[in-house]
Amino acid sequence: MFALIKREIQDHLVYFIGAAAFAAIFILISIPVVGRYESIKRQGYDYRTPEFTVGIGVPVVAIVIIGICAMGATQMYLDRTRKISALLSTLAVSRSRILLARIVTGILAILTLLVPLTIAAVILLRLYAPPVLMYPGMVFEIFIAVFLMAFACYCIGLQTGWNSGKIIPTLGGIALTCIFVPLILIKGFGVHIVVILVLFIVASLIRTWHTFMTTSL
Amino acid sequence: MDQNVIKVENLVKYFDGRCVLDGINLNVPRGCIYGLLGRNGSGKTTIIRILLGLEPPTRGQTFLLDAESSELSAKLHSRIGYVAEGHNLIQNYRVGRLIKLCKDLSLQWNDEFFNHLIETFRLPADRRVKELSIGMRAQLNLALAMAIDPELLIFDDPTLGLDTVARRQFLELAIELIQQQGRTILFCSHILSDVERIADRIGILAAGKLVVDCPLEQLKERVKKLRVIFPESAPPNLYLTEIINQQIDGREMVITVANWNKQKQTVLETFKPSSCTEIPMSLEDIFIECTNSNPVSITG
Repeated sequence: MFALIKREIQDHLVYFIGAAAFAAIFILISIPVVGRYESIKRQGYDYRTPEFTVGIGVPVVAIVIIGICAMGATQMYLDRTRKISALLSTLAVSRSRILLARIVTGILAILTLLVPLTIAAVILLRLYAPPVLMYPGMVFEIFIAVFLMAFACYCIGLQTGWNSGKIIPTLGGIALTCIFVPLILIKGFGVHIVVILVLFIVASLIRTWHTFMTTSL
Repeated sequence: MDQNVIKVENLVKYFDGRCVLDGINLNVPRGCIYGLLGRNGSGKTTIIRILLGLEPPTRGQTFLLDAESSELSAKLHSRIGYVAEGHNLIQNYRVGRLIKLCKDLSLQWNDEFFNHLIETFRLPADRRVKELSIGMRAQLNLALAMAIDPELLIFDDPTLGLDTVARRQFLELAIELIQQQGRTILFCSHILSDVERIADRIGILAAGKLVVDCPLEQLKERVKKLRVIFPESAPPNLYLTEIINQQIDGREMVITVANWNKQKQTVLETFKPSSCTEIPMSLEDIFIECTNSNPVSITG
């Protein structure tokens, strides 16, 4: 199993480097932004500047979603075109292990992005007073919801990459993203969104699993 | 434990509504070297892919080492060596990396034998697989399949693209492996002289069916090609069953008959031919006759 995960990481190293670089850039940008909030707040102005937050937030979310979705799609697409699983499954490896290793690699890539961001957020929240009202466990809730959101995008990517027809899965992925993002904005990072995302992920993984296990390699 | 290492039961496979395999039944006993032959597109590779669980069958069941193909465990896969047609190797990997990956994913690995093969074939570890010649890719695939000391070897046209020297090396290696007790080999090739040299049982696929499935020696005995000269013009019908091919030219008739026996010989003698001589047939001749438009079943 470790050899399979290692192979996946080596083959898709660019996504890990991209995730780490993106997290680093985002943290570096966030530090002066948080400092700016702090100075505005000290001067007695309204510190909730939504246009600035939206201006950064929307492209960030879009890049993350596209990047993670692309990783899943690339993993499956390259496997199909290079007949990697066709070779691996003639060795002492089952198809289920190949797919499991792939999913674990996807999770590791998402964590490469989210863990540094979460650690940075926790540190910044300790250094500066948060611009919004915080409650205990809020960072954890946000982390879980964002992680599930990213994983759901990754699952869409897996399905898109394995299908020979790309249009329907891609449009489906975009449609689902359009549903999930407003849902998070409206409902917040709570239990509701976690339940919906978990249900979606389970359904998506079952579909991918079934397709991968029964299709010809 | 079943004596048959490979079992195929009523296998049917359709591709886009086209029947490629039509009710194939095949058994390969332990220690047998089975030569599976057929023209291009006859379904040899499809049978192998279904056996290995790479392709789902439309109907029927296949078993390898007593396990159903779709449920082959990793442990069972570690007992099977496979050399694929076109050599399914990860093209953008360097040879060294591919070898390491295969080694890491194998439950057993004979380093000594593998290194011996790599030295024999002079395979460069630092080059990418896609930069290798077809022959070198075949050699690498062969070395990787052999390194796990497999109990069952499946070769799908393994000598395709190999030069004469490499092909000879491969055959000698195969013969060396055959001498190791209990090893079973399923061998597909278009080079029939290779198959004739190593196989002890032959299967021929034609029109989606396994028209021949018997030991090589028996096949040679049962398929007869005769040149029969009659005192007057040759009769249009000899009333013989299982005629594979028949050509008449005046008094001379050249006839190929399957499952030749004494009864057929007696029937032929009733026509009082002036002479009847047997034309020796190689496996290639038999293959050509059996895959013509009038295939006759030869099993035993």
